[in-house]
Amino acid sequence: MLNFDWLAGVSTENAKNIFLVLFVIIGILVMMIPTDYAYEGVEKSDRHWYNNLKYWALGSLTILFIIYYIF
Amino acid sequence: MLAGIDYFIVIAYIAGMLLLGLYFKKFVNSSEDYFLGGRSLPFWAIGMSIVVSDIGAIDFVGISGQAYRYGISVGNFDWIGSVPAMLLAAFIFIPYFWRGGMYTIPEYLGRRYNPTVRTIASVTWILFFALDLGVLFWASAVLLNVLLGWAIWTSIFATAGVVGLYTYFGGITAVIMTDVVQMVIMFVGGFALIYLSLDAVGGWHELVDKVTNMGPEYQSHFDIIQPIGSSSPFPWTGILFGLTFVMSNAYMIGNQSIIQRTLTAKNEWHAKASMIFASALKMFIPILVLFPGLIAVALIPGLEDGDQSLPAMIKEVLPPGLIGLMFAAFFAALMSSVDSLLNSTATLFTKDIYEPYIKKNASDKHYLKVGQVTTLVLLVIGVSTAPITENYPGMYVAIQTFMSFFQGPLFAILLLGIFWKRTTQWGGVSALTIGIASAIYMNITKDQHFTIEDPFLYISWWSFVVGFIVNVVVSLFTKPHSDERLKGLVFSSKIMESKEEN
Repeated sequence: MLNFDWLAGVSTENAKNIFLVLFVIIGILVMMIPTDYAYEGVEKSDRHWYNNLKYWALGSLTILFIIYYIF
Repeated sequence: MLAGIDYFIVIAYIAGMLLLGLYFKKFVNSSEDYFLGGRSLPFWAIGMSIVVSDIGAIDFVGISGQAYRYGISVGNFDWIGSVPAMLLAAFIFIPYFWRGGMYTIPEYLGRRYNPTVRTIASVTWILFFALDLGVLFWASAVLLNVLLGWAIWTSIFATAGVVGLYTYFGGITAVIMTDVVQMVIMFVGGFALIYLSLDAVGGWHELVDKVTNMGPEYQSHFDIIQPIGSSSPFPWTGILFGLTFVMSNAYMIGNQSIIQRTLTAKNEWHAKASMIFASALKMFIPILVLFPGLIAVALIPGLEDGDQSLPAMIKEVLPPGLIGLMFAAFFAALMSSVDSLLNSTATLFTKDIYEPYIKKNASDKHYLKVGQVTTLVLLVIGVSTAPITENYPGMYVAIQTFMSFFQGPLFAILLLGIFWKRTTQWGGVSALTIGIASAIYMNITKDQHFTIEDPFLYISWWSFVVGFIVNVVVSLFTKPHSDERLKGLVFSSKIMESKEEN
């Protein structure tokens, strides 16, 4: 059990899909974060789409998704 | 191996770092300036500093060596082993630490659990950092001795002198701002090596063809997901459970030298943004440190020791001038690790040990002086203990293993501490001590329990599970904390509402 033998039947293709689904789930969780919270610390008048940290996080996750999709 | 221009670049780099670091002396007037940069720094500098302090000179060589042996799966540590944890840290943990005005992670644990948990966590980090300092000095000096031909003590005194001076006077601001330059140098040197070596091998497709046709052991060199039965220490189950769910979170959320940087931010947005920005930069690190090893498989096949791949590639591919830049990058990696260890350990000692146990309610100037003196003492300890590593060559691995005992239980108490208000002080103490004991037991008996060669990822996961269960069970049988005591320490959807509305 300690060696995760019970997952030995999962192919590497399916394992990769597990990783990709995980990134999508994290992305959905990021999108659920209230926008005001992502801007906290920025004056209301200075809030633009490019300092919305949700987009930054989704950008990082997209690069990560592409890396795991390719390799 | 080095031409005159290379020596000039390395020496100019070292002198430049010293001058830049000393420039920030004028901004240090209080202990908050020294430990938290006056909470005034921008996200981009903090983000760059997080990335560069995470990679040492030994890692540069070691990761290339692992890539030579195991392929691209080594990159998991900087990709899935960093990004999700950094996002969790940015959106959930850092706002609590930043709003609470904290200096250290053990300080949060002390407020959430009790002073015993704070002390155990802090002493463990201090011991780890202090031991690591000596090992880092020696291992890096040996590396530079091989690469540059410098006498070992020349490297140690050069690094200790320069880093010690700017860290002593400039505190964390000097550490972070020199890290910014160090990251630029590491990226320029690293990308130059990749560009020229890819050109030498004939491009990316040629590289993949050459490596995968070199024999069965190279067939999966470009597969990031390794099967459970893989001979490498990185089967996908270990990467998912041990690395992604436990080690990366413990490292990015529970590591003083990482989190302390985000606490220097000028406001909460910069604190969160620094970590997310760092997560984007972090994904380029494998390109710098892993790809040289992969390309070396094609360009210099048959190396007996994979760790020779990076030095061999530098010798084979880089022209004079760029070799000097690459060695400056080595120094950058070494200096950024040493300055992080010095400043973080001084912070832990001053805030978690000296202030509560040795001298309470002293003046702010007094604590500033204690932080500076601790930095000097640590430097002396680091330099004087460095030669011990010569007699105990396995010490670097032993220290890393020692730290891995701590990661699972630490993350268990951090996670439950912030997400479950029912967690009690006794749950935290029990989880930390029993969790660490379980990790030590699993490591001692690893031959009986694990089938892979180095099961540190599995041990992290299972010690996390032990710590988690112990924390839940003990907490349910002990007196819960009052809501008043937990205010601002446990996750609530209220934190996601605008501060003005709270």
